[in-house]
Amino acid sequence: MKKILVWLLVSVMSVSFLITSCAKPTVETIKIGLQTPLTGDFAAEGQWTKQCVEVAADLINKKDGVLGKKIEIVIADDASNPKDSALAAQKLISQGLKEVIASYGSSVTAPAADLYDANKVVSVGYGCTAVRLTMDKQRPYFFRASGRDDTQSEFFVKFAVEVLKAKRIAIMHDNQDYGKGVAEDAKRFLQPYIDSGQVKLVYYDAITPHESDYSAVVSQIKQINPDVWFFTAYYPEAALLIKQARQAGVTCTFLGNNSVPTPEFEKIAGVDAIKGSIHLNEPMPQFLKSPEAVEFMDSYKAKYNELPGSIWAVYAADALNALAAAIKKAGSTDPDAVTNAMHTMTDAKGITGPLLFTDRGDRKNIPYYAYIYNEEGKLELYWPKD
Amino acid sequence: MHMLLEQFLNGLTIGSFYALVAMGYSMVYGVMKLVNFAHGDLFTLGSYLGYSILVFGAGWITQVLGVWGGVVVAISGAMISVGIVGLVVERIAYRPVYKVGRLPVVASALGMSIFISNGIMAIWGPRFQAYPQNAIPSGILSFSDIRITFVKLITLLVSLGLMAFIYWLVEKTFFGTAVRAMALDRDTATLMGIDFNKIILFVFFVGPALGAMAGVFAGLNYGRIIFNLGWTYGLKAFTATILGGIGNIPGAMIGGLLLGVMESLFEGFVSGAWKNVFVFLVLIIILIVRPTGLIGEKVAEKV
Repeated sequence: MKKILVWLLVSVMSVSFLITSCAKPTVETIKIGLQTPLTGDFAAEGQWTKQCVEVAADLINKKDGVLGKKIEIVIADDASNPKDSALAAQKLISQGLKEVIASYGSSVTAPAADLYDANKVVSVGYGCTAVRLTMDKQRPYFFRASGRDDTQSEFFVKFAVEVLKAKRIAIMHDNQDYGKGVAEDAKRFLQPYIDSGQVKLVYYDAITPHESDYSAVVSQIKQINPDVWFFTAYYPEAALLIKQARQAGVTCTFLGNNSVPTPEFEKIAGVDAIKGSIHLNEPMPQFLKSPEAVEFMDSYKAKYNELPGSIWAVYAADALNALAAAIKKAGSTDPDAVTNAMHTMTDAKGITGPLLFTDRGDRKNIPYYAYIYNEEGKLELYWPKD
Repeated sequence: MHMLLEQFLNGLTIGSFYALVAMGYSMVYGVMKLVNFAHGDLFTLGSYLGYSILVFGAGWITQVLGVWGGVVVAISGAMISVGIVGLVVERIAYRPVYKVGRLPVVASALGMSIFISNGIMAIWGPRFQAYPQNAIPSGILSFSDIRITFVKLITLLVSLGLMAFIYWLVEKTFFGTAVRAMALDRDTATLMGIDFNKIILFVFFVGPALGAMAGVFAGLNYGRIIFNLGWTYGLKAFTATILGGIGNIPGAMIGGLLLGVMESLFEGFVSGAWKNVFVFLVLIIILIVRPTGLIGEKVAEKV
């Protein structure tokens, strides 16, 4: 009995081996790794990322691939935690990959980036925005296709001062890590304008999160009456603030940061309160209109019947586009040549705009947008309208 | 001057929420010498029940009775149901362990708090819920520069009216005298022929019902509710209870209103980030000077 089973097993294995080896065409491919959280807290994000990168790879392959070869994506799951991230990186490195896309979450990306860097593997992050990733220490082989935490604050200052022509600015945060960080950066970028007397910071303070009644601070804003009121924390408080402010008769422009414009925000505050408020955000997939973006979104929609659920997944597709362009320019997959090409390429276009990188690996001219709620309470692109 | 008046009104509104919840704490403590930790969660439960009544009944209640009718139904429905829940909580969680000692009751109260808030989370979900916009009376009154919504005005008037009523009930009526006697000395009061169970029925129905009303008002005013809403309100209301003198019902009202006004004046004129630091500093100072609270009286220790 045992013998028969062993024979059966051996024959099944050899047949299946024969089938697979026959089915696979013996065309050489360029393998690019993708490290993403397919399990864990951000599994949805990982799924979108996988789908976006595969669609982007299909598009490149349809146009004759890179250096005459097709691109093949090799996926490793990092479960969105730093420990599994190191394992996933080891797995991709041991397969001899020279270019990878990794990863989502700054604390998850950091250990992987260290490993890739030590093994001379070019890695491009797509959902990691902590400034320290590129500024604390130089990792020559690390790049990121997404922006940084201070991108938003820099954009805010440009938008408020140059577009809205605000003279009196109020900045409000919630004394928590993220909100306070954005507020402090905004103040720092605003400092030159304050020093030159062009702009006055008329309010800079915090609210207490998780409360319900913000009428005291709303009355204060009403009395100060700034041109622009920038709120840098989360939607639950933003919704209450804007609702109570409009009820109290505050008419100044409300600017929300990228954690504000959500369906919950719209539901809690209501259309009457939110209309006319402007929110700063990473590009939203539905508003990307460049030819590259339209081509990508159409293919994605044809395959999955919806748009990508998050912009970070689209950045992953752009990480692949950047790597493909750099390999093309370098003429090989050699990490040093590709790194050099990443730094020097000038004409690579991605879904989210030009793919240019600083010498520390940050993306140059990262796109950021202001969206406005129209009279029906729907988001519309406000600035820049390219 | 405008600003001062406006901030004072804001503070009174916040304070009336604290006061309504604080009265529930104080009533129960007065009679049972028990901090009812579940009280904040009963407040949340009231808020959610009001939400459900408005959402599910919005169609016909609002059509038949108008927007204000819907609000009245939601408030009374939530008050009665939460009042009954309050009685049930007392019966199953406090009465069986009350004789064992004071610590087991505290543990039981904490358990009840976790039970209720997790129950709310399981039934209504962990995310924010929004009161339906069309069921909330709209309309804003303005006096020169000060604008106040109808809902806020009603909240303020009803809360202050109710506080006055409870004050009258507890301080001026025969029944109130019985409640106060029970708070002072349970054994003697019982010997005088006061029915302990009747008093228990009163405090465990009226306290949670007041909390439920505050909960529905919070939903109507702010629109946003979440399962752990009672934690923030419960903590502040408990603080107000201590500030006014625990066990003393008028003290809870004054403590709540004072806390609200202090918060709003400090946030409006000094700094929002330091608001809680300041408020609790004042609390500590008051407790150093008057350990029994603002109008709490020293009660001789029972042996």
